[in-house]
Amino acid sequence: MEALDRRKVLTGAVLGGAALVGATAFGSVEAAHAHESSQSLDDALDPNFVDGRITAINGMTLTVIGLQNLLTQIRITDATSVWKLRPTTLKSVDVGDGLYARGARMADGSLAADAVWVNIVNLHAELTSIGRGVLHLRYGHGQLRGHVVPGTTSAVYGDEPATADLSRLRVGSHIQFIGAWRPDTDDVDIATIFAVS
Amino acid sequence: MACGTDFIERGTMSWFCCGGSWGPCGPAGGGACGGCQSGSLHAAWPNASAACFDITRPDRCGKSLPRRGCGTVLHVTNRCNGQCTRVAIRDCGPRTQSFCGQNCCGGTCGSGRIIDLTPAAFSAIASLSAGVRPCRVDD
Repeated sequence: MEALDRRKVLTGAVLGGAALVGATAFGSVEAAHAHESSQSLDDALDPNFVDGRITAINGMTLTVIGLQNLLTQIRITDATSVWKLRPTTLKSVDVGDGLYARGARMADGSLAADAVWVNIVNLHAELTSIGRGVLHLRYGHGQLRGHVVPGTTSAVYGDEPATADLSRLRVGSHIQFIGAWRPDTDDVDIATIFAVS
Repeated sequence: MACGTDFIERGTMSWFCCGGSWGPCGPAGGGACGGCQSGSLHAAWPNASAACFDITRPDRCGKSLPRRGCGTVLHVTNRCNGQCTRVAIRDCGPRTQSFCGQNCCGGTCGSGRIIDLTPAAFSAIASLSAGVRPCRVDD
């Protein structure tokens, strides 16, 4: 789908003109942006991307405060994909959560979201110990606890398919993982571990 | 299909935060070049300088990545879907020698981490939850 077409659909979705467009109509997020970015490559923020913390949730609209205390309204539509540890819905999103959102910037300054990733982190860390249901990790800015979530946490060893088997992880090894930050404790729930040497 | 003019290398890409906002990314600084922001189309390149190369050592994964300094514009293509974005180098990384493993999507595989993108740049061509994707980099 061309970027302009996509923007039209997103705009229509926010305005109610494309309410029947479902998430599957867009396919995955990866399939959605079939164009080279035309944004400036200077230090300006990408206008179609938002990074911040949620300060209010009103219906299908999230208020997010970002850098320099800039407030942005994020419009969630039926076509928006929501990730928080796993693909989920707006019901799982809370005030205080961190967020990355990509979509189309509207004339009123809001963002019609194609996808939002809530509390997502991507960290490279040293595995310092393994407990029952928790991995103790050291990373660039300190230490944290990574919780294993049954039915969700998986590991990718090299080019093998993802598996729930974490028994091949070794203390002292370095791992990369995608997870969801817990704002109340600074712990992380682990989604996917990429085991590296 | 790729964008850009001159092929540099194939490998894998991931994403990193910089410029600090929330969670574990809060303390993240502006990168080795300065000015790196998660919300901008920026990247980390393993051979942004000689000192950077000494840390990342892409050659240990069989990657001969050329020197491209701060501010250089690169074109990054997600080989899973052919989508492309332009980025400006604002940091040194990733530490390629720690990521010699392979990552695949369907029948497309890439080996060796050659570039990391900011969330804004990565999400323009892939889902952040994918974490790692095969890519190619062009000037």
